[in-house]
Amino acid sequence: MPRYGIAIDTTKCIGCHSCRVACQNQQGLEYNQSFNWIKEKERGKFPSFAKEFVPLQCNQCENAPCQRVCPTGAIYTSPEGVVLVHKERCVGCKYCIEACPYKVRTVDHHEGIVVKCWFCIDLVRAGGEPACVTTCPTQVRIFGDLDDPGSRISRFIATHRAEPLRPDLGTRPRIFYKRS
Amino acid sequence: MPESAWGWLIVAYLFLAGAGSGAFLAAVACDLLAPDWSRTLARAGSLAAGPLVTIGTVCLVLDLEAGLWQPWRQIYLVSNLSSMITWGVIILSAFIPVAFLYAAALNEITFVGRFAKKYLLHLEIVGSVLAASTAAYTGVLIAVVNGVPFWNTPLMPVLFMASAISTGLAVAMIGAAILDINTIKTLSNFALGHLIFLSVEAVVLMMFIFMSLTRSVEAAASADMLISGVLSPYFWVIVVVLGIVLPFLLSIVEYYKYGELHKYLVIGADLCVLLGGMSLRAVIIFSATPPQVI
Repeated sequence: MPRYGIAIDTTKCIGCHSCRVACQNQQGLEYNQSFNWIKEKERGKFPSFAKEFVPLQCNQCENAPCQRVCPTGAIYTSPEGVVLVHKERCVGCKYCIEACPYKVRTVDHHEGIVVKCWFCIDLVRAGGEPACVTTCPTQVRIFGDLDDPGSRISRFIATHRAEPLRPDLGTRPRIFYKRS
Repeated sequence: MPESAWGWLIVAYLFLAGAGSGAFLAAVACDLLAPDWSRTLARAGSLAAGPLVTIGTVCLVLDLEAGLWQPWRQIYLVSNLSSMITWGVIILSAFIPVAFLYAAALNEITFVGRFAKKYLLHLEIVGSVLAASTAAYTGVLIAVVNGVPFWNTPLMPVLFMASAISTGLAVAMIGAAILDINTIKTLSNFALGHLIFLSVEAVVLMMFIFMSLTRSVEAAASADMLISGVLSPYFWVIVVVLGIVLPFLLSIVEYYKYGELHKYLVIGADLCVLLGGMSLRAVIIFSATPPQVI
């Protein structure tokens, strides 16, 4: 069984929000709802400064805090290492939102449950890739199997020493960033 | 101000669960230590405990979404023993019936109460453990959350416990005055209790704030919000001055002018403690700052 992850190269991101729109289309989300954010970070001081765009989505943590705190057991990890939500079990207590350090979970007020990025697992199981990955015009994201040392993603992470966001939090995310 | 997923309903729940379990502990303490002259206070505390915790639990349920519209989903709430909410559901389900039964027993309400009176001491022991668990659990609930560094400290349950005891005593004192206004003089006996518990709460609150300032950038950001930021007027005026300093000073006067303090000042001090307890939860919930991840 593969263990899926995404590598993100922020040096390529132009902040166009295509990934966000593609995600909203794919998941049928409303305009103000999203599983995908582009955070902006300014570095340096005038005149030598730069703005970095950092795409942010569910980190599919191996040690997922949301899964640990969910009282109904609605949050589980699939065999491919994707953190998923049992829609019929979620009561909407929002404890997982408080527990998530990356703050990437949102409430779906129609269904009354908490939802988030699920790596477009339906597309992936059919042999495709998540919508954010295939849509990106500058190919910021690489999707693939973290357990296969020969995969493009594993080689990218090794070559660029890509790291997850805040590894010190101990959540062991499956999304890796090349920041410079 | 960062947006929190939890709002006033959760604040109300944290406060009511704390005040209710504190009132239960106050009632048990009065009944065991001084059943002769503090009987009204024990009765008031026992009568208030169950309803307060129940209203708090209703607030918690109202904050649910799918679990509110499709209540049968709530059966899943006891699925995950590594979740503090699962533990909370178990503790509350046990404490609420015990609290009502204790109120019935102590006040000899109906035949149930007369029957339960035979087991009063058992109810007091089991109930006190459950009340302490309820009060501490409200703190642990938010302390285990690593998505909010400000809350993520073992001092959180200690602070909520201290606040639960002082607000619980205030509830019992107000209740005693409602049941029998003539007891207002004997309430001076409890001024010392207020002095002790408010001091403990103040010390724990001070440690909590000071340690947050150095614990992490995010915890410091939350603490700054209380000390000098957007929430500072509420923190200093309502939580610190009205909620702790003023009732503390009034309790000193009450203690020395035994039974002479005007009744509105006695009750006013207790109402201030309640206002402070509620606001303490509010400023802690609303100052939640997520970790800086990028």
